[in-house]
Amino acid sequence: MTGRTAAADAWIQYRRTARQDGLVPALTLLCETAGDSGPPPGPGGHAVAPVGVAGADTGDVVTTMTVEGGTVVALRSRAEPPSGSTPWAAWALGVTSLRFGLSERLLDTVLAHLGGRTVGDAKLLHQQMVKGGVAEAVIEQLEIETMLAGATPGDLDDGVLAGLNAQITGTDRMLLRLLGAVSFLADGPGQVARVSEVIADVYFGSARAGEHGGAA
Amino acid sequence: MIELDDRTRAIQRQARAWAQELKPLALELDQDPDAIHRHLDVAIVSYLTRMTVPPEFNPDPVVIDGRPFYGTGTLERVVFAEEVAVGDAGMLLAAPGPVMSGVLVDAMGDEQQKKWFYSRIMEKPTWTFFALTEPDRGSDAGAMNTTLTPDGDDHFVLRGAKRYIGNASRADLGIVFARTRPGPLGVTAVLTETSAPGFTAEPLETIGLRGLRITAVTLDDVRVPAGQVLGRHLRATQRGMWSAVQGLNRLRPGVAAFGLGIARAAYEYVLDNRRTLNTTERQRLDRLGLRLTELRQLIWRSAIAVDDNDPAAGSLASAAKARASRLAEEATLEALGCFGPGARLDHPLLDKLARDARGVEFMEGTGNIQKLNLFTGLVQGHLRRD
Repeated sequence: MTGRTAAADAWIQYRRTARQDGLVPALTLLCETAGDSGPPPGPGGHAVAPVGVAGADTGDVVTTMTVEGGTVVALRSRAEPPSGSTPWAAWALGVTSLRFGLSERLLDTVLAHLGGRTVGDAKLLHQQMVKGGVAEAVIEQLEIETMLAGATPGDLDDGVLAGLNAQITGTDRMLLRLLGAVSFLADGPGQVARVSEVIADVYFGSARAGEHGGAA
Repeated sequence: MIELDDRTRAIQRQARAWAQELKPLALELDQDPDAIHRHLDVAIVSYLTRMTVPPEFNPDPVVIDGRPFYGTGTLERVVFAEEVAVGDAGMLLAAPGPVMSGVLVDAMGDEQQKKWFYSRIMEKPTWTFFALTEPDRGSDAGAMNTTLTPDGDDHFVLRGAKRYIGNASRADLGIVFARTRPGPLGVTAVLTETSAPGFTAEPLETIGLRGLRITAVTLDDVRVPAGQVLGRHLRATQRGMWSAVQGLNRLRPGVAAFGLGIARAAYEYVLDNRRTLNTTERQRLDRLGLRLTELRQLIWRSAIAVDDNDPAAGSLASAAKARASRLAEEATLEALGCFGPGARLDHPLLDKLARDARGVEFMEGTGNIQKLNLFTGLVQGHLRRD
């Protein structure tokens, strides 16, 4: 893979953009700064990008997913799969940072949603089981955050990044369960989590239960 | 361990054979939930249209190995549900039939109401719905706001909204829970026709289980005849929420079996499509196979408890359902992990299973609700621990 090297603070920027603005702006930023005029292919030859960022010559579209703020396509790329180059390392770290930011955004959504609902006279968020569930997810996020802190491309090898991505998926699943049926709707936060999982699947493979942090 | 008798094995074998018809249709239904209308003659769908109709209302039951099957027993229903869900969980949920509503009609309906309900079911393939959950009240059904108020001597009026109601936009009739007065005894259930003015059901797009076609229901001054209010011949304590809870206890093992079916479908997908597995993968898959067996046993135990009116039934079913929803998620992710990067795009059926699995959590109470049920059963002594 060829491509520009992202600026030193780009990793935190992908995370912040994902948390504050959502999936499409963050993935667009990632493609523009860590990709080579578009998304690189993952090890299986697939790529994911917002519509408009993925050019017509990027590959054949496999599926189209609508999320808040835009549409994302997954495609079979025509480019060569990565070979451990520096640009791939930049992309892999960027994807992980972006997905972590989306996971933080999902936690924000859970806190707001459950904080606004009641059971009897009490906030749903203040039910003991819910508090415990939120805390479990936060423990996962603190671990991931600590691992990613200060990392630059190549600091964390692909195996570590794959593990972190599995952990992000597992954390998102915890939060989705807390969010309730609203997380199963195609126009809500559950759809963003689904696309985030597809991104992880394309670039790292799917999370397996029981791998570090990969429990569903 | 529990072993099935010959009769239940017969329905298991038949369901397994029927389910083979569903796999080729699964992605079509996922893409277009209305595809169910093109597949009403599929054997399993045809069976589901009348499953749970009692013998007195079903003169023409399915006969397997010389035995009639009505689907009224919980054990036979969970064995059936697992097999069908292995074929396609979406089709199981998309099919017409009385399953959820029928449980309430059986528990709360008088003879006339049962006759009316089941004659409608037997007339033609008829979808039904079960409207309990309200917007923002999924975890607090007791706080329901939908009201049922008298309108003259012979009618009542329904006002309110329901959410996440399966099949309501396809249904001709179903059951709506509503409040007649404050307090836990003020909830009642009403047979409602969707053709009544003021009844609307808008489909909600979902990430998985798209065949179910969940909807948002609006009840805008819907008039219902007084004869359609269920349980008026029963004591107040046996109506409404009590009956809903009893009904859900009876249905819960089936929901667990449904999750088990999704998990098993993912497991079998790996066995069918990965010719060689390395040692680690083989060990992980063997472990998954054992967990499927353990869950199946727990589900069967809960179903037998329901059929025996065992006080532990609700708690056992909660344990089974909580485990099933989690295992469905874990098994589908495990299976995707066996196919490397891009598996979700290269194996669309497996991707569908992973999406479907997420929905099991929200059917008939989340994992946290099931755990609370289980704890209550434990401390109240319903669960024997000898």
